Order: sequence, then structure tokens, then C-alpha cells
Amino acid sequence: MTGCGAEVSGTQRAYRPPVEAAETADPPVAADVHAALAAIVPIVRRIVAARVPDRSTADDLVQETLVRVLAAADRIEPGMLEPYAIVTARNVVASLWREQDRHRRNEHRMVDLLAPESPDADLLAREEQSAVAQALARLSDRERATLLAHEVSGQDTRSLAAELGSTAGAVAAQLNRARARLRVEYLLASERVEPPTDRCRPVLLALSGGDRRRQREVDAARHLLECDLCARLSQPLLQRAATREDRIRIAIGSDGDIVAARQAARELASRLGFGRTDLTLIATAVSEVARNIVRFAGSGEVVVELLDHPRRGVQVVARDTGPGISDVEQALTDGYSTYSGLGLGLPGARRLMDEFAVASEVGQGTTATMTKWCGER
Amino acid sequence: MTSGPKLVSILRQGSYLIASIHTALDDTQMDRFREDLIEQIGRHRSRGVVIDVAALDVLDSFGTRTLRTIGEVARLRGALTVVVGIQPDVALAMVALGMSTGAIATALDLEEGLEYLNGRLAGGAVSRPAGRVPPP
Repeated sequence: MTGCGAEVSGTQRAYRPPVEAAETADPPVAADVHAALAAIVPIVRRIVAARVPDRSTADDLVQETLVRVLAAADRIEPGMLEPYAIVTARNVVASLWREQDRHRRNEHRMVDLLAPESPDADLLAREEQSAVAQALARLSDRERATLLAHEVSGQDTRSLAAELGSTAGAVAAQLNRARARLRVEYLLASERVEPPTDRCRPVLLALSGGDRRRQREVDAARHLLECDLCARLSQPLLQRAATREDRIRIAIGSDGDIVAARQAARELASRLGFGRTDLTLIATAVSEVARNIVRFAGSGEVVVELLDHPRRGVQVVARDTGPGISDVEQALTDGYSTYSGLGLGLPGARRLMDEFAVASEVGQGTTATMTKWCGER
Repeated sequence: MTSGPKLVSILRQGSYLIASIHTALDDTQMDRFREDLIEQIGRHRSRGVVIDVAALDVLDSFGTRTLRTIGEVARLRGALTVVVGIQPDVALAMVALGMSTGAIATALDLEEGLEYLNGRLAGGAVSRPAGRVPPP
């Protein structure tokens, strides 16, 4: 194969003065060989031209043939020069075809599928590495050892459990916690930040682990509204969690979001089999609490979630980081309002839903949680 | 302001204005609707206004308050307002919320609304020269 390729690649070189060159390289070649060679040029030309349409390629091949014949001339019997030249010409053409065929077959290999490495790729890879190393260093020894044994050495949970005197399930849960912690520590290390408050780590951990109960315990949603760092770091953590079908979050920042929130709530609740009337009540209540956010806090969020326990229902949580309400009891009284409304925001929403609770702290913000159960009334 | 289908339409029919809300409006759009309608009442010297809210799936405190405001302002400008097409579920939610349309008249649908206006205006409830009352 390689021999073939090397031979034919020679044809690509334009071989200009065949006879003279051969003469200088090989002086003892007899003059009659030259004459015989000159005599076979027309037939070689005809043979090659019949097979190769391209003129310049054909010329190259003719030259190639003549060089070979000349090189072998002293081994060829005088009368056999012409047949030898004919066979050589055919062979040269055939190897050209083989070469073209091979080129066509291998053409796709010429495409470099790997994107060219950017100049900072090395640096980034090193930063990445050091962030992972730092994150690993912040795990407990036991967590780290187990995680590395499982992820790097490929040890399965059962044999790990046997070593640790535990069960496979417990080891798997422990691995999950270690991974969750690793993700958080990695993000912190790669951003080169330390969380500003004591609450940040527990919140990020709960988000990373996807543990909804724990997220409620640490009031993760409120913390994300308050803490810019956690709001930013939580993005990649939340993205890896599968998007949930039974929960929707609407950021509230302007009038238009009020409409979006109530429509989203209606749409989500309709999946639970609420009747039109209940859907309208829910949508109206969401409208009221969302408007409270726009009016008093400027921005916040409304989270609508379908519940399974203790009964089927829909829960709406409206959260903001606004000025808060100093007297929640009074705010829930009809007629109380600090803006020129009808004072029906919170008390009105309370009447529309089955359960209603407001938690507020002055300067911290307000959270209104309300629930409508399916099949009530 | 917005491209696409119109959110509201205000049509003139004789000395009446018929305002239809085609889709859910946010507060800003609701305010704009109020301003447009009040401006047109003056421009067309309208005697009666029908506001069709059949397309609204929610009438919350703000929406209801806007309707009441329109009704009050229109009354002060010499026009009678009737709100038509409040959906049964919306009506129930308004009751639960504790909202009412106050002094504004309501009617089941557009036809009833126009009939109401004709009856009231023909009866001279609004003091206007009789010649300007449209034929029923």
C-alpha cells in the first residue's frame, strides 16, 4: 500500500527532462536505448491519454512511465521495450486510480472535528482542576474516601457498605449528600467566594441535593430573594434538577406579571380537576397577592404548587423582600389599606381560599401562603 | 403601544359608546382603557356607555375599582354606564372577594345593556333635551 502511494506520488512531481536527467544519473546508457525510448513515446502517450482525460495529469504519467522504463532498460531485452512500456503505462494509470479512490475514501479524515483549542483553555482547565481539588478538600474524610472509591475507583455501593458496616442504600444516600456538597463547594471555589451569611451553605446544600423538605426548613426560596450570591449560584444547581411539572414560579416585577401569575396558576390548578368557579377564585386570589407585591415591595415571586398531602390541592406562595407589614392582623382586616385601593388585597384573597397565612417581618419582607383544596365546598 | 390583536375596542353607535374588552388586561392597560373611554365620552358627547367584560376571566379588586371609577366619571360627565357580560364564575369570585360594582348598573349582555340605556334615557332619568335621545 505505502509502496504504491510513494510510487505514484512521484507522478505529481513534474518530471521535466527525463532523458537528459537519466543520462547524467546513469552515463553508460546506450544511445540506442534513447532512440528506442523516443520511439515508444507516442504509444505510451496514446495509452495514457485513452485512460486519463486530464492533459497535465496524463503528461505526468507519461513521464513517470518513461522514467521507469529507462530505469529498467538494461534489464529488458531489446525487442521487449515496447511491450514493457505498455504494461508499465497501464500500471501507472491503475495506481493513479487506486490513489484517487483511496483519497476519496479517506477524504472525511481530513476534517478536523476537534475545535481548535483556545489560548486560555489550559488556564481554564487548571482553574477547574484546582476548584475541584479545593471542593474535595472541604468534604469530610469519610465522605471524600467513599466518593473517590465509588466515582474514581469504581467500587460499587454494596462492597462499600460491607467495608463501612452499613447498607448499600445508606451508602448511596451518603454518596448523594457528598455529591451535593461537592457541587456547592465546587461552585464556591470556582467563584472564589465565601458565602456572606451562615444561611447560605445550608440553603445551597438543600438546593443541590434537591431535598424539598429541607429546602422548606431552611426557607430556601426566601433566602434566594434576599441573597444575590445564592441567587446566582443556585442557577446551575436548580438547572440540573428535572423541571417539575407540578410547580411553577413566576417572578413578579410589574403589572403584566400579575396577569401572567394568575393565568399560570389557573392553568396549573386546572390539571387537578378544579371546577371553573374554583379556578376563577384561585386566579382572583393570585391576582390580589401578586398586586400586593407590585404595589408594596416592587418585586418578588409567586410560586404555585400542586399538593398531594394531606389532600389534593393547590398552594400559592407569594414572597417579597419589601418593607414588610408591621401589623399583619390589621392588614388582614377589611378596609385596611395603605394605598388607594379598596383594601381588599389580603383579606379578599383570604376569603377566596381555604387556608391563608401571612408571615411578615418589617424590613425583611412578606410571605403569603394560601391553599385551596380540591373538592372543598 | 402593542402590536397584534387589539386588547379593547371602543365603538360609537349613535349617542352610545360600546366598549369591549377582548382579553385579560394588566393594570396599566386597564388604566389606559379608562382614560381612552372617558376621553371618547367627551369627544362624542355620548349619553350612554356599555362596557362588555364577557372576555374577562378575572375581575379582581383593581379591575372592579376601575369599572366603578369609569362609571362615576362618566356619570359626572353626563353619561350613563352599564357593565355587561360578567361571567357567572367571575361574579361569584367578586362576591367572595367582597367587591361590587357599586352604583354602576349591570346587565346580562349587550342587548339587555342597550335596552337598559334606552329605557333610562327615554324616561328622562338623565336631564337632557328630549330631542337628543336616540330612538329605541
